Amino acid sequence: MALALELDQVSRSYGAVVAVDSVSLDVEGGEFVTLLGPSGSGKTTTLRLIGGFERPNGGAISIAGRRVDHLPPYKRNTATIFQSGALFPHKTVAENIAYGLRMHAMNPSLIRERVGEALGIVQMGGFEERYPSQLSGGQKQRVALARSLALRPSLLLFDEPLSALDLSLRLQLRADIKRLHDELQFTAIYVTHDQSEAMAMSSRVAIMNCGRIEQVAPPQQIYNEPANEFVYSFIGESCCLPVRIDDGAARDQQGRPVDIRLAEPPSSGAWRLYLRPSRIRIGNEAHGCANTARGRVRFTEFLGDFNRYHLVAGGLEFFCDRAGERQYQIGEEVEAGWDTGDMKVFAA
Amino acid sequence: MSGAQQVTSAGHRDAMLARPAMKFERLVPWALVAPALVIALVFFGLPILNTLRMSFNLHVDQRVYVPGFTLDQYWMLVKNPIFSGSILTTVKLSLICAFSAVTIGYGFALLVWIGPPLWRVGFIGLALCPLLISEISIIFGWWMFFPKTGLLSHTLLSAGLIEDRFSLMYTEFAALVGLTYLTLPFSFFIILSILDGIDKRLLEASSDLGAGPLTTFREVMLPLTWPGMLVAFAHAFIWAMGTYATPSALGPDTLWTIGFLVQEQMLGRHNWPMASALAIVLVVGVASIMLLMRRLMARGGRFHD
Ligand SMILES: Nc1ncnc2c1ncn2[C@@H]1O[C@H](COP(=O)(O)OP(=O)(O)OP(=O)(O)O)[C@@H](O)[C@H]1O
Ligand SMILES: [Mg+2]
Repeated sequence: MALALELDQVSRSYGAVVAVDSVSLDVEGGEFVTLLGPSGSGKTTTLRLIGGFERPNGGAISIAGRRVDHLPPYKRNTATIFQSGALFPHKTVAENIAYGLRMHAMNPSLIRERVGEALGIVQMGGFEERYPSQLSGGQKQRVALARSLALRPSLLLFDEPLSALDLSLRLQLRADIKRLHDELQFTAIYVTHDQSEAMAMSSRVAIMNCGRIEQVAPPQQIYNEPANEFVYSFIGESCCLPVRIDDGAARDQQGRPVDIRLAEPPSSGAWRLYLRPSRIRIGNEAHGCANTARGRVRFTEFLGDFNRYHLVAGGLEFFCDRAGERQYQIGEEVEAGWDTGDMKVFAA
Repeated sequence: MSGAQQVTSAGHRDAMLARPAMKFERLVPWALVAPALVIALVFFGLPILNTLRMSFNLHVDQRVYVPGFTLDQYWMLVKNPIFSGSILTTVKLSLICAFSAVTIGYGFALLVWIGPPLWRVGFIGLALCPLLISEISIIFGWWMFFPKTGLLSHTLLSAGLIEDRFSLMYTEFAALVGLTYLTLPFSFFIILSILDGIDKRLLEASSDLGAGPLTTFREVMLPLTWPGMLVAFAHAFIWAMGTYATPSALGPDTLWTIGFLVQEQMLGRHNWPMASALAIVLVVGVASIMLLMRRLMARGGRFHD
């Protein structure tokens, strides 16, 4: 069967700015793929290229096995959910949802049926006669979703549809979209810069940086086996320790020895060690860890569920999180430890 | 029980106290609009009433007017083809002018709205120009543009598009161009201000849902800009109805607009009652356009953005 979406070396630049730099991506039917990356990394541009709002400078885009790069949006079988919702203000909710169906010359009784069905799916039954100005932000996005779903496109494109909503509503709609995806099995490309959104909803995540895709993998794999330093530092929280290794002994960048013992030290040279603060153990818990570091507490932060201890060892600074009461005071010497699997080493 | 009673009686007392205050509050809006209202009544209402009264006076013995009451002037408006024809001419001219101004203004506003930011500065600057120049100076400009020896003829000839020099001066077309030129900036600005309030993503959403450019224009752009088009149309129409100098100076001698006849009756024939009756026709025409527009606006304005 043909792939739902195939991007082959797609590029788009604006003058000297390369917004999308030969991106390739294959998406199977029913997948939920998230484009995740920092601001300006080309996520929106990639999505707009797929939707047909921008034309690529190079490469090929195929949807369901058909080349579409020369087609305008109204000839592509995609439907976009915009950040602003982009509901037609002069049309009622029902008219908004019927719009796409009318454009596809569907007969009126079928349209009515589909509109009712779509509103039911997003739990907005009874709002048919309202105008968009009479809806809340979350309701607008539900209607926008219904408008796109009603068309049953081969590809649904989301451009940060939840970023304008407040946190609780965002969480709720995020769960709704996930539930709908599980039920309806549509294929979706979802743009966001919210990591937890990407992790929670996606079957695969594509990490973008400077117009390129750095890694495409399921969320767990992205988190546990980052392909490169960018992905590791971008996903989740991490501490970075820039060190020099001389015959297995660690020094800071000024060359002073630091009290870090590594079970499997990398070869001599300059390296960056990355650690997840949630995986670093501290105090008694650090006893018996394969890798340890001794440091002094610089300051602590209370972050609700846990305390964050900022430690300094020589010229190296890092932090680790520990649940419960604050146990270590500023200036106190403590030992931190971690397993070799929780550390990533990248050449500096 | 007694507590509840106390509450009600207290509520009653509050209502008693509130009554004079509420009366005062209702007066505040009136007090605020009073100055403007007085100015409108004194400087606009009274002259119109005066004109209305004048239109019923007698015109006998070549005197400017003789106080009295007659409907002769209005009868003449219907019976005399010069007057009835001038009313038709004026309405026709104004309709065409308003239609052209809205169409052209819409086109330019759309260009500015969609185009790059630099165009905006350029077109707004261009649109401001005619507003900075007096009507008379603009007429002089057209006098250098339309005649046989004018810029238009010269340009077309040197471009090789025509064989012989020609003149468009003193034609209805010239009058129409002059009128449209006067009203175009307003149409442009009115429609641009409406367009600026529209989310451009709507165009993308429409296209995304399967509508081609023409359908998108009909289904999304037209309904959303309809109120602005009505305002621009009414504005251009009213302006064209009342403008006297431009059609007189650019049009043919036979182009008798209401404005021209008012002037002629007033100053040429010293027939003030007739001039007043013609003026009243203008006022009634303008007022009915305003009313019609409000009706049309109310129909399209069910949603609020
Ligand atoms: N129409 C445009 N004209 C010029 N440059 C553009 C245009 N659209 C995007 N860019 C540039 O292309 C790059 C990628 O932009 P894009 O909007 O795709 O980023 P993004 O990943 O969606 O970022 P964000 O998270 O901030 O939305 C940016 O450097 C941006 O400045
Ligand atoms: Mg974006």
